[in-house]
Amino acid sequence: MFSRDWVYENFRAYYRSPRYEFPSPQSFSQREYAFLLFKERAMVRHKSFHSSAALVSSLRERIPSDVYHSCAYYENPDADMDKKGWSGADLVFDIDADHIPTSCNKLHDEWKCGNPACLVAGGMSGRGITPEECPACGGVKFETKTWACEECIDTTRTETRKLLDMLTNDFGFSEHEIHTYFSGHRGYHIHVENNSVRSLDTMARKEIVDYVCGIGLDMFDKKRRDSAKQKRKTSTPVFALGDYGWKRRLKNGMRTYILNSAKEGLIELGVSKKGADVLFKNKQAIVNRCIEEGRWDTVKGVGFETWMRIAEHVKDQEIAQIDTVVTSDIHRLIRANGTLHGKTGLLKAEFPVKDLDTFDPFVGAVAFKEGTAHVLVSDAPEFKLSGETFGPYKNQRVELPTAAAVLLILKGRAEVQN
Amino acid sequence: MLQETVKFTPTDLAKYPFLKDTAAYMKRLGLEIEELTSPELAQILTRAQERLEQALLFVYTGQKAAGDIEIPSFPVAIMLAIATKTSFIKKRYALAEAKQAYLEFQGETAERLMAIARDFDWNIALNTESGIPLDYFSVSLADYLRNITHLRDEKWKLINRLLVRGRVFLKQQDVARLLQEDVQRRIDIRLDAKEAPEFPGPITAIADKLVEMAKEKIGEQEMEGFPKVVSQSAFPPCIAVLYDAATHGKHMGHVERFTFTSFLLTIGMPPEKVAETFKTSSDYNARLTRYQVEHIAGSKGSGTKYTPPSCSTLQTHGVCTNSDELCRRVHHPLNYYLRKQKLQPSVQTNA
Ligand code: SF4
Ligand SMILES: [Zn+2]
Ligand SMILES: [Zn+2]
Repeated sequence: MFSRDWVYENFRAYYRSPRYEFPSPQSFSQREYAFLLFKERAMVRHKSFHSSAALVSSLRERIPSDVYHSCAYYENPDADMDKKGWSGADLVFDIDADHIPTSCNKLHDEWKCGNPACLVAGGMSGRGITPEECPACGGVKFETKTWACEECIDTTRTETRKLLDMLTNDFGFSEHEIHTYFSGHRGYHIHVENNSVRSLDTMARKEIVDYVCGIGLDMFDKKRRDSAKQKRKTSTPVFALGDYGWKRRLKNGMRTYILNSAKEGLIELGVSKKGADVLFKNKQAIVNRCIEEGRWDTVKGVGFETWMRIAEHVKDQEIAQIDTVVTSDIHRLIRANGTLHGKTGLLKAEFPVKDLDTFDPFVGAVAFKEGTAHVLVSDAPEFKLSGETFGPYKNQRVELPTAAAVLLILKGRAEVQN
Repeated sequence: MLQETVKFTPTDLAKYPFLKDTAAYMKRLGLEIEELTSPELAQILTRAQERLEQALLFVYTGQKAAGDIEIPSFPVAIMLAIATKTSFIKKRYALAEAKQAYLEFQGETAERLMAIARDFDWNIALNTESGIPLDYFSVSLADYLRNITHLRDEKWKLINRLLVRGRVFLKQQDVARLLQEDVQRRIDIRLDAKEAPEFPGPITAIADKLVEMAKEKIGEQEMEGFPKVVSQSAFPPCIAVLYDAATHGKHMGHVERFTFTSFLLTIGMPPEKVAETFKTSSDYNARLTRYQVEHIAGSKGSGTKYTPPSCSTLQTHGVCTNSDELCRRVHHPLNYYLRKQKLQPSVQTNA
């Protein structure tokens, strides 16, 4: 508990610093705010503020571990849910390593069922993504031990890049309508503030989710497929490729995939040995004939099955893995920009869209920049913070900069020493 | 962008009485509800009644009358529909008017079609993008999304559309189809009047006749909502899978649990029974399940009653499985259930 008190002191000092400023979201006073209280670990909801100064003084008084605001705008943000008067919501996207299978989460994420009566004595446990419910007992409470590594960030950054491509080229949002943030843990938030999407209901947002996630995509050119059927050439897929939207995505994706393909990769996809051979030896010719000219049925040995496997694979590569629930929920609470994350002590931090590739969250989102602390680290992998490399540690006492000590304590991997 | 001003003539208003100009036209006529029962205006009332009858019987609005009868018969028909206080009739009428309009839309010139769309506050233009057919229109993303909510065919999914920098590109027939949706929605809203005024006797009498007619047409059961007996054999495939998972104590995610629970509750299964359906492995879990079920039923927590998500939502979250022939014709698992029940002989089990 002493460690948590020490972290609390740091959070307090951060919010009480005269230099602290809260970056207001658009339509500040029409939003609902919510605080997760540090000590009580209880959520205080349905708050509203007239000015960001009023919000800051509330932060300074309450010292929450986490601060949220609604993506929605309300007539009465502090009323009960059914009396709030919903008047619109930003379009928000959450891309989080919690939900995306990364090659690192099996390495650094663990979970254990928190049900005292779990069928597995002591609680079932595992590595990787935390299940929604315990496979043994169906319990929904878990103790988790997660970590945010550079690979987590790289993976979510790639997904974010794909999303941004769709948001600008397909959806036509301008760079000043799109706000990009590091989430404070291990992912990105993208908020779109645009008047025409503000009023979209859940159904409409779901269509957007489906677009981004590639759900329901019809890859074929229907007319040409029908005529192929009439000519009894049913074995030929006729993909609809083009210059815009998903048609462009599929076209470029298939072209790139084939030009860069290796035989083993093709076979791994499930392409027959013979098919892989033909494709591999005639890459450029096949790309020209099929993908550029649409003469799908002119390559012997590369038929429907093969094309389908390639197209499906390309589609899976092109989608952006977002949290589908967040985007379709028009009442969602989302972490407030410029506030501390209770699991890391890092900030949710905005950066310009164009800096996605250069913004390093482990530098740019660091809040605690002064002081050091002596901690006893139980175990921690190697990590980087503010450009310095630490660890790995195993049961050892070290003196660390405040930010690193806070991170390890909040992650349950260290205790502060007097 | 150059916008030609299209003036709507009375002939247009007779075809499209839902346009904004109709209100001005009506004002010039100076109609009062009480007068409708007077002989001079009997023709309007008769035509209005016919609109509704044709809608109920054939999803059609009947032969057009002369302009000064035809145009006012539309707002009067709206009033009659409200007076029936029957949601089936209202829905059916809105659908009939919208379908009728769709037929007319298809034959309109591009300019006139865009004028109608703009009357609905759409942001619409002729295509100027190279590489997309010249006779295509473009509409804003929001206009498109607002109007595909009830369209089931996968060709309407946004992902299967040309979406370029916030504009959705459509050919005329598709614009017409989306306008049909908007007509229906707008009429639905007008029919959804919270406080219906007192109507004069003759109007109530016609309304009662229409209700009788509707009952004959579709039977009491559907008009009064969901039957209270649960028939498991009419479960849609998605629910059947969830039922199997629940009764065998298999893992169910949040969306699955919610869907299953709200489905059973909506078709009339009492909350205790629903909770019992989940085979649980511990006391703690049984309590949790009961709490969740009661929460969804509206007796705990929020107090709101929940209905299950639509098919497209279930598809998004991967809950739609084994969809069959009947699925192709429904948008909602509840809808599937109702239809399937009607197709089945009435052997029902009390689940
Ligand atoms: S289509 Fe609808 S009703 Fe049929 S299985 Fe899918 S979700 Fe269920
Ligand atoms: Zn368990
Ligand atoms: Zn990682």
